[in-house]
Amino acid sequence: MAWRQAAIAGVGVTRQGKLPDETPLSLAAEAVRLALADSGIDKREVDGLLTMPGTTSPEGAKNYLAVGELLGINPRFTGSMTMGGATGGALVQIAAMAVATGMARTVVCVFADTARTGGSRFAAAAGGDDSWGVWGMFGNAANSAMGYRRHMSLYGSRSEHLGWVAVTCRKHASMNPNAIMQKPITLDDHQNSEIIVEPLRKLDCCLISDGAVAVIVTSPQRARDCRTRPVSIWGMGQGHTTENLRRREWWYLPHQRDCISEAYRMAGVGPDDIDVAQLYDNFTVAVLFWLEHAGFCAEGEAGPYVEGGERIRLGGSGIPINTAGGNLSESYMQGWLHIVEGVRQIRGECGPRQVEGAELCLVTGRGMTLNTASCLILGQ
Amino acid sequence: MTDTTAAKPIRPTVTAVNRPFWEGCNRGELLLQRCASCSRLRYPAAIACPTCLSPDATWEQVSGSGKVFSFAVFHRVYHPSRQGKVPYNVSLVELDEGPMMLTNVVEVDNAKLDVGQPVQVTFERIDDELAIPVFKPAG
Repeated sequence: MAWRQAAIAGVGVTRQGKLPDETPLSLAAEAVRLALADSGIDKREVDGLLTMPGTTSPEGAKNYLAVGELLGINPRFTGSMTMGGATGGALVQIAAMAVATGMARTVVCVFADTARTGGSRFAAAAGGDDSWGVWGMFGNAANSAMGYRRHMSLYGSRSEHLGWVAVTCRKHASMNPNAIMQKPITLDDHQNSEIIVEPLRKLDCCLISDGAVAVIVTSPQRARDCRTRPVSIWGMGQGHTTENLRRREWWYLPHQRDCISEAYRMAGVGPDDIDVAQLYDNFTVAVLFWLEHAGFCAEGEAGPYVEGGERIRLGGSGIPINTAGGNLSESYMQGWLHIVEGVRQIRGECGPRQVEGAELCLVTGRGMTLNTASCLILGQ
Repeated sequence: MTDTTAAKPIRPTVTAVNRPFWEGCNRGELLLQRCASCSRLRYPAAIACPTCLSPDATWEQVSGSGKVFSFAVFHRVYHPSRQGKVPYNVSLVELDEGPMMLTNVVEVDNAKLDVGQPVQVTFERIDDELAIPVFKPAG
């Protein structure tokens, strides 16, 4: 029996890309205005506010104060959280729990960032311990590269398998007029792109973008009266690994599998019931791991599964993934746009990239030094 | 603008907790903490045992032999100290005693580096006060 005790009633997305005239707060205001308009909910109804500080929001964990003041909202329920790409899903979960318990009626969740214009802060020493820089361990690609190297060694997966993810996500982005990267690419383009941290190439890496996203969570009853078709939360889950070096299986991110299992249990569904999936793709390799963790293929088989793109593309024979282009090609909103695309697929609003008859969408997020994971199962 | 200081190698943040580790490295010894309560070896150094939470630990020298668990080869320069040093590998080495270390495998062709390869610790001298533990192919 699916949970369905809270619903997403509105989503708002600003322009994406390089927006030098904007600030995180100006973008946040626009995203919330758009989300409210999408839902038809009046701002005076909003009594909950949850935020994720962007990489260029210096106030950090006090971000909710700045955003609340900006929006003129004095909430009953609020806070800010930073779990990287797992945050969007986690904040929607907290909003859903607040709504289900009655601590809030209508919660706005918002993320705004000017990482593209404000200078990327993604090149620091990787890992919780600064000392990792001693061995030259920098940036976010390296952990994913190491995970994939072991996957290659154990299961025979290859760079070309990553390429099929990049090619397929770009193909989907070409059907999304809001995507930053719409020009299709080939497997050769991927294989010829610059090596960043072997085995990852430039086309394995996500974009860095300016923009904002807002998501409005309310009760199923309230959502029924909104302007758009309500999207219910059927299930949700989290999983985390804090002990990077001390957890031998960290490279495989077992917490991601646990996170999805929990959501399946809560929703009363399994992988065969999912019609479309928005899988967090900071790097192409992330998609391969999620495919295994979500049970769309067996452990170690994601490489052959994505070969040729047939099983992950729109209208293909498997599970269509990242139908708006994902972090790789649509825009890098740290997973928030994955939630938006999930909502739009369930509403049936996606035009040429709509998955026909989509009833259930899995949305995943992950972040930090591959420590955190959250997921949502969205349905009607 | 040339910032000559930026090209210096990154030094570890030495704390009261990890100081014996880095002092050991400087003497050419790989020392790990062993919990005085539950006897488990641990790395990296920690204030308390992550299994039993005991704060009491001793330092003991380990063999320094292990196997490559995984690795990544950097082609991009993320920090000025690595200018002219790419490509280089960053590797996870699983010690024979169990703990996993982040490190570099040196004296190896990156194209021939492989998961499962046996390696042995060695120390890369930076200056009088600092030596970095790295690994080289064993046998």
